Amino acid sequence: MALEDYKADMERCSQCSYCKWIPLDQVKSWRFAKGCPSIAYSNFLSYSARGRFAVALSLLNKQSTYTDRVVDVIYKCTTCGSCDVSDKICRYNLEPLEMIQELKIRAVEDGQVLPQHTAVIEHLKKENNMMMAPAAERGDWAKGLDVKNITEKSTEVVFHAGCRFSYDKDLQEKTRTAVTLLKNAGVDIGIMGKEESCCGGRAYDMGYKDDFVKAAEKTTTAWKAAGVKTVVTSCADCFHAFSRLYPPLGENFEVLHTVQYLDRLIKEGKIKFSKTVPMRITYHDPCHLGRRGEPYVPWDGKEKKIMNQIVVYEPTKPRYNGAWGVYDPPRDILKSIPGVELVEMERIKEYAWCCGSGGGSREAYPDFSNWTATERIEEAKATGAEALVSACGWCERNFLDAISTAGEKMQVLDITDLVKQAI
Amino acid sequence: MTLSKDVYQSFEDIVGSNNISDDPALLDSYRYHLAHTAIHLGPYYRVYTPRGAAVLLPGSVEEVQAIVRLCNKHKLRVKPSSTFWSAWGYPLEDNTIQLDMRRMDRILEIDEKNMYAVVEPHVIGAILQAEAMKVGLNTHIHGPGSSCSCLASATALAGFGPDSMYMGQHSENLLGAEWVMPDGEILRVGAAGSGLDWYTCDGPGPSLKGLVRGGQGTFGGLGVFTKCALKLYPWPGPANFPVEGKPPAYKVKLPDNIRGYTLAFSTWKGWADCCYMIWEAGIGYVAHRQYSMFGRDLKGAMVKILSDHTKTLSDIEEMLKDPEIQEFTKEMHRDFQIVVAGMTPRDIEWQDKVLDKILEATGGWKVKGMLESDLYNWSLLYMLRLGHKNLNLVYAGGYDGCFGIGGTPDFGTSAPNEGEPERVEQATEFKKEWEKKGNIVAAGGDGMMGGIGGFGGGGHAMWENFTHFDPHDKESTEGTLEFFGATSEFGKQKGWGPGMEKMNDYARWTDGRTTPKEIREKLLSGGGVAFRYQRKFKEAFDPNSLGDGYYRTLD
Amino acid sequence: MAVKEELAKIVSSGNIYDTPETLEAFSRDLSFVKPIKPRFVVKPVSTEEVQSLVNWANQTQTPLVPVSSGPPRFRGDTIPSVPGAVVVDLSGMKKILRIDVRNKVAMIEPGVTYTELQPELAKEGLRLITPLVPRASKSVVASLLEREPTTAPRFQWASLDPLRCTEIIWGDGQKLVTGDAAMFSSFEEAWKRKQAPASPTGPGQADFYRFVSGAQGSMGIVTWASVKCDVLPSAHKLLFVPAEKLDDLLGFTYQVLRYRFADELLILNKFELASILGGGTDNIRALMQELPPYVVLVGIVGRTMLPEERVEYQEKDIRDIAQRFGLQLVPAVPGTSGIGVLKTLLSTSKEPYWRLAYKGGYQDIFFLTTLDKTPDFLRTMNSVAEANGYPTSDIGVYVQPLHQGSSCHCEFLLPYDNENPKEAAKMKQLYTAASKELLKQGAFYSRPYGIWANMAFNRDAQTTNTLRKLKGIFDPNNVMNPGKLCF
Repeated sequence: MALEDYKADMERCSQCSYCKWIPLDQVKSWRFAKGCPSIAYSNFLSYSARGRFAVALSLLNKQSTYTDRVVDVIYKCTTCGSCDVSDKICRYNLEPLEMIQELKIRAVEDGQVLPQHTAVIEHLKKENNMMMAPAAERGDWAKGLDVKNITEKSTEVVFHAGCRFSYDKDLQEKTRTAVTLLKNAGVDIGIMGKEESCCGGRAYDMGYKDDFVKAAEKTTTAWKAAGVKTVVTSCADCFHAFSRLYPPLGENFEVLHTVQYLDRLIKEGKIKFSKTVPMRITYHDPCHLGRRGEPYVPWDGKEKKIMNQIVVYEPTKPRYNGAWGVYDPPRDILKSIPGVELVEMERIKEYAWCCGSGGGSREAYPDFSNWTATERIEEAKATGAEALVSACGWCERNFLDAISTAGEKMQVLDITDLVKQAI
Repeated sequence: MTLSKDVYQSFEDIVGSNNISDDPALLDSYRYHLAHTAIHLGPYYRVYTPRGAAVLLPGSVEEVQAIVRLCNKHKLRVKPSSTFWSAWGYPLEDNTIQLDMRRMDRILEIDEKNMYAVVEPHVIGAILQAEAMKVGLNTHIHGPGSSCSCLASATALAGFGPDSMYMGQHSENLLGAEWVMPDGEILRVGAAGSGLDWYTCDGPGPSLKGLVRGGQGTFGGLGVFTKCALKLYPWPGPANFPVEGKPPAYKVKLPDNIRGYTLAFSTWKGWADCCYMIWEAGIGYVAHRQYSMFGRDLKGAMVKILSDHTKTLSDIEEMLKDPEIQEFTKEMHRDFQIVVAGMTPRDIEWQDKVLDKILEATGGWKVKGMLESDLYNWSLLYMLRLGHKNLNLVYAGGYDGCFGIGGTPDFGTSAPNEGEPERVEQATEFKKEWEKKGNIVAAGGDGMMGGIGGFGGGGHAMWENFTHFDPHDKESTEGTLEFFGATSEFGKQKGWGPGMEKMNDYARWTDGRTTPKEIREKLLSGGGVAFRYQRKFKEAFDPNSLGDGYYRTLD
Repeated sequence: MAVKEELAKIVSSGNIYDTPETLEAFSRDLSFVKPIKPRFVVKPVSTEEVQSLVNWANQTQTPLVPVSSGPPRFRGDTIPSVPGAVVVDLSGMKKILRIDVRNKVAMIEPGVTYTELQPELAKEGLRLITPLVPRASKSVVASLLEREPTTAPRFQWASLDPLRCTEIIWGDGQKLVTGDAAMFSSFEEAWKRKQAPASPTGPGQADFYRFVSGAQGSMGIVTWASVKCDVLPSAHKLLFVPAEKLDDLLGFTYQVLRYRFADELLILNKFELASILGGGTDNIRALMQELPPYVVLVGIVGRTMLPEERVEYQEKDIRDIAQRFGLQLVPAVPGTSGIGVLKTLLSTSKEPYWRLAYKGGYQDIFFLTTLDKTPDFLRTMNSVAEANGYPTSDIGVYVQPLHQGSSCHCEFLLPYDNENPKEAAKMKQLYTAASKELLKQGAFYSRPYGIWANMAFNRDAQTTNTLRKLKGIFDPNNVMNPGKLCF
């Protein structure tokens, strides 16, 4: 869809402000009531979904043009989807997140780009990753790991490491852990090593739709060649890309996040815990695994009206409102690890606060990104937890950086770390 | 008009460069589309409120005062708003400095013993309630819901809501206010003005709360409120809502001393009698005819949809064919929702027993379908947190309320003359006819939502007839406008008093700007003496006319 | 034209008084406010007459002093502050215009007293919550306008409850009806539509009735008001929670307020309780020997629905609350019983007015605060009394939670022999000293009579400025009781 296709939404936006908060039913305190990092940081209305509806309409109606401010409004959004969840508490015919993504795509098409993004995308084109690192080093994380490479041997299940988990030295061990856990549990799994390329998901969230499509084509071509049917990944961004962005391109693979697979294996008795991990932890729901990690439901329909003016769709449109995200598997895993005490933050599941790294924010707005992560650290600290556990490399990196900047002591772990400790 | 560089710089010197902007697109996000909610003057298709001169985000009363003084110096209008949900919060004219009060969002104090809170403008109902609940207290949440500013509701708007019967309406709850008056002076109303705590709004001498607001507040048209104190109420429940379920069908299981029912009656007289009897008995914590806003014919299906995360609006047609839902819907023809909350086990038992006796006496009953656990728990959370009030606009994004028959319960539920239907049924039939034209949702005529009580202890009921339309659809929007015009005429002919469908057209006209003087004066003439006094207040406190026409004045 | 002749064109000549006795009676009261004789006393009988009087006053620049209650009076607000004033005695406007049983509102003229109103309400199964044993001649409207505290805080959702709508003749002669009654095209039409003057707010964006509250007649004259009534109880119990100290009662009282239990809820010390029970000086003294030092009076009411059960369960729950605070809820205390006190609370005062009964005269110091601060104020009052040689045992203490508990009326009753010049002089000294000390401590003279006016307004310049502007709007010629408050 094009930005113009959202004009109806722009005019039907109720201007109610729900997009700024977590669902109001879930508000438990003044401190942790906000949902949208963008407006929480920048304050002007324009930085909310409601504001972006208005800005987009203003641009479409040629009442205003691109300015530095407008570009800032467009891009200073982590595309976390919090606004989408909150809007859909009351509205069944509004798609704020989709509109925001189209707004970014339009800005890119119009050449309104940020140099920080341009640099990353140019690198993606050349080196197939979002990490400004050489393609040749992508497989280094797996050195010495006894796992087959799907480019050499066809395999139905591929573990996609993802850019962050491949290159980030602090996180590479977690990548190895994930693969090892799955393999040891009997999963016939392969990796692509240095042949792996970026899922393209972050490029999409930055507004670079064409570059996303190219990255997707590259990846899926390789998978098809290797006979892949199932994709497993520890990266929530990749999980979202594969499960939500690839199917509309006609690509249909079974997609599992590592936590889903591990949860299954634990429940099947194929992973057993023999050690205690006495730790009080809290779990951060990555946006792209949680509210943006809902299963894709194909739909090709149109709007229609019933009862004169009720806006519905024919056929019935799937409703992505965060209800179907991946929330239970990670929690089930954590609860099953002996000794682990899981304490929840106030904002969780579909109304979790974002880590701040998505949508190109980490790349272009480090202060905003860091601030967002710091807010989450504060929320984690408020639970009394020793460690903040997540299931996404981008979240974990952003938290690590925020903790380091602030001189905090909280540990940042991946779920796989705890599983490994307990085995 | 764009601010000159010097003037812009002067404002920037007050709030800092991060907190001011005159970017055109940003300013457009501070305009209100007049085909939307609770503007009670339109809807007007693709008409927007004027673009401001700049938007400022003040962070303190000192900054607000400095801004207002500067506006006086340069003769710039000023229009504050907290959550920007309604045309009231937007300029009427060009050359207006818009104040976004977002940065002033602190709860300054909750005095648990004396049961009041002191808040800044951007504290919304959900947040104040959540913090108050931690210490066993609650706040009144006004009708538009818990996303709205408590201060705005108390000082600038109306302030009635589903819990008013127990928790008053905000005019009653306002214990003090800090007000940057349009002339740039700061007035603290009540004891706070004497440097004391915020426990009373009255004195010394005549109560200046009378100047802050009346039946309604100033709508941001007379100065800027920067703090207020609000009375809080007991909350005999847990420190936070243990919410379960998937969005949007959140539910809560509360202890047995908090119970929620939908009451239904076989006659409107029974309905009215019940209101009087629950007020007299002093039972009930929240009471409102809430779900009727979806329309008499659709409310049964809608509450089922809203309490089931797998359902969408697309399920309506199918559900309406279900005989069980048809029966359920029919049962709730004359209904309202009530929450009873007992401070002790004996208290809740007595209240519920009294409620049963009242139902017996009035031919009413507790709707069985709403006692089913999912719906029960969903409705309880809905009525207590009031966090779903954007459902006003669920169908297509546009809603407004007409008629607004208000007054004693007897007024709305009785027939004006013998042999005629009751007023609410007359309003229902009238709207049903207009629904046939296709421009508004065919909801069954009766979309009348309203409070049972109106203010503390009860006394009023309200019948705002919700009308749903599509603001993106020209025919729908203009057809709705036509309907509202006809509603006004209908009300006039019937002698029911002015409806609320056009109640703000004294301030804002069809072009989104200030209503022309001659029209305004005609519309306000009914309130002659009061509005002439308000003219004098404006002259006294707003000599440079920084405020706008939402503050009603007559020469 | 002679003034009397002019007045005779407005009110009937039989309602114009200028005998020395009458003028003397209106020139002074039992406060320390300097006596000034009015020129005339007139007794209008209708809104039209009141409005004509105000218009005349504007034309002739004659000060008007409205009075509604009969004597004795105590606050100095009904004494002219300037010579040449005309007292507008509204005590003759005695109509009970309407009692609406369904909506539980009564409409009354300003001359209606509690003594007159309660029996009429009772006939209809209603009652009005009153101040603490008001005097027989006390005007209901005046009492409510002057924000006198009432004894049942659970009924105060608005701080001015039970006052609802009013009709006001402002100082500039304009008439305004306030509250939802402003929307009535006529009363007949409103009654036909089953409407009632129940909501006090507005009209418009100002609560005009608040400008005449606490105004000591300096803004306008109210010619009728509607009041919100309660159902006449079919069961009514009065219980006591006694304690040695005021401090000991606060936790209990706060909890009862929190639950919104009890109807009547107030704290008296033994002197105050003995005084309202009355029976003369000796009887008061005798009661003082028996009564507990402090007591919360807890009234529990049953109305139409399950009345006995309501009384029963609330009594049990309130007893539980008392126990939690180490106190007891009892039906009687040495010296009196619940039945006896209830009878007193539900009546107007016998003659002489109970506050006068002990020594013939009194001064009282009262202000708003919060309940938790009252013991500290009491300590200050006692300390100043001791320093001034006044027996603290003679001080009446009345603590009345207001507005469902968010604020509190704190009152010290200081009886003295006002006929004794030495005592009067000492009392004046004590009254002034204590008022100042209490002010310093944070007493809020929300109703600033006499010397409190300067004290209160000097502390809040912006309120003072704003009120003066309002005065300039409602009473541009300053005819309404000039010299009061900050005007």
